[in-house]
Amino acid sequence: MRDDPSVIALVARVGDGDQEAWDEIIDRYAPLVWSICLRYQLSRQDIDDVGQGVWLTLVENIGTLRQPAALPGWLATTTRNECLRVLRAARRYDPDGLPAEDLLPPDPDARPVDHELIVAERHAALRAAFADLGQACHDLLSALMSDPPPGYAQVSKALGIPVGSIGPTRARCLERLRRSPHLAGFLTEETPDLTGRETGR
Amino acid sequence: MESLNDDELLAALREALDARQAVPPEFIDAGKNAFAWHNIDAELASLTYDSTRDADLAPATRAEAASIRALTFTSAQLTIELEVARDSLVGQIVPAQPAVVTLLPRTGGEFRVDADEIGCFSIEPVPLGQFRLRCQSAGGIEVLTGWVTL
Repeated sequence: MRDDPSVIALVARVGDGDQEAWDEIIDRYAPLVWSICLRYQLSRQDIDDVGQGVWLTLVENIGTLRQPAALPGWLATTTRNECLRVLRAARRYDPDGLPAEDLLPPDPDARPVDHELIVAERHAALRAAFADLGQACHDLLSALMSDPPPGYAQVSKALGIPVGSIGPTRARCLERLRRSPHLAGFLTEETPDLTGRETGR
Repeated sequence: MESLNDDELLAALREALDARQAVPPEFIDAGKNAFAWHNIDAELASLTYDSTRDADLAPATRAEAASIRALTFTSAQLTIELEVARDSLVGQIVPAQPAVVTLLPRTGGEFRVDADEIGCFSIEPVPLGQFRLRCQSAGGIEVLTGWVTL
């Protein structure tokens, strides 16, 4: 697990009562919590229940996290525990409704590194890097990521920039993204393929 | 990520933004609102006994244990014992002392009851959904339980 200095700073600011830092943590990691809930195939209502449980546990413990940089892993573990809590509550009404493996209590010492966590951390880093790009890059890359992919003529018209500058600007913006400090921790790490093939899309 | 070419990097970025987009705004708002619980002054009482949890550990007694739900929250200064009765949640504060007990449902709002001289209180009806209790004793002790669902 890499040590993301921005996470450490956010955790410290939350400790000082900074609601904006808290909001940024939620924005960053809500997709992680959400994706783990989906893996447990919870109903929407149960997902809301889990989410609440995770954030309330976090707000009470964030001041005492021994390793703030490990926050994403902590969140993944807490989310799994909350999912199991919700599933156990459901089991009281339907004792045979769950596969045996879900009845096992989670191992608190298990290293909370799994697929969702790795993917979610990369996603969060990419979004943070994207947020740091200037407005022009933001607008251009957003336009280029539209579905269906637009032609350069269309992008030129929408953004009011010459067709000839789109290609070079795109390359420059992506290079700036690639060099973002948010992504620095991923450059040396051996991580699975990033291009979406592993997510089953 | 250095190894990704421009097209791959743009695809990865798009996937990252889509993942954020897939999360409903209410889910995110609920998380942001949880900050209201930051820096609560009260001492936290943690769940030290739960009849349901024991039932998980000892399947043979599950049927009996499931018939009466009992919970104990413990803090350094006092213990709160809870039992789910037919149509109320009854509790006792140990050591016995008068107190104001406040039910704090996670969905918001609050509901106060008094605990008598021997620390007994009753909350009707049995709370639905997740909640916690705040106990403010006449002697000035304030304790907040962890979150629990009955």
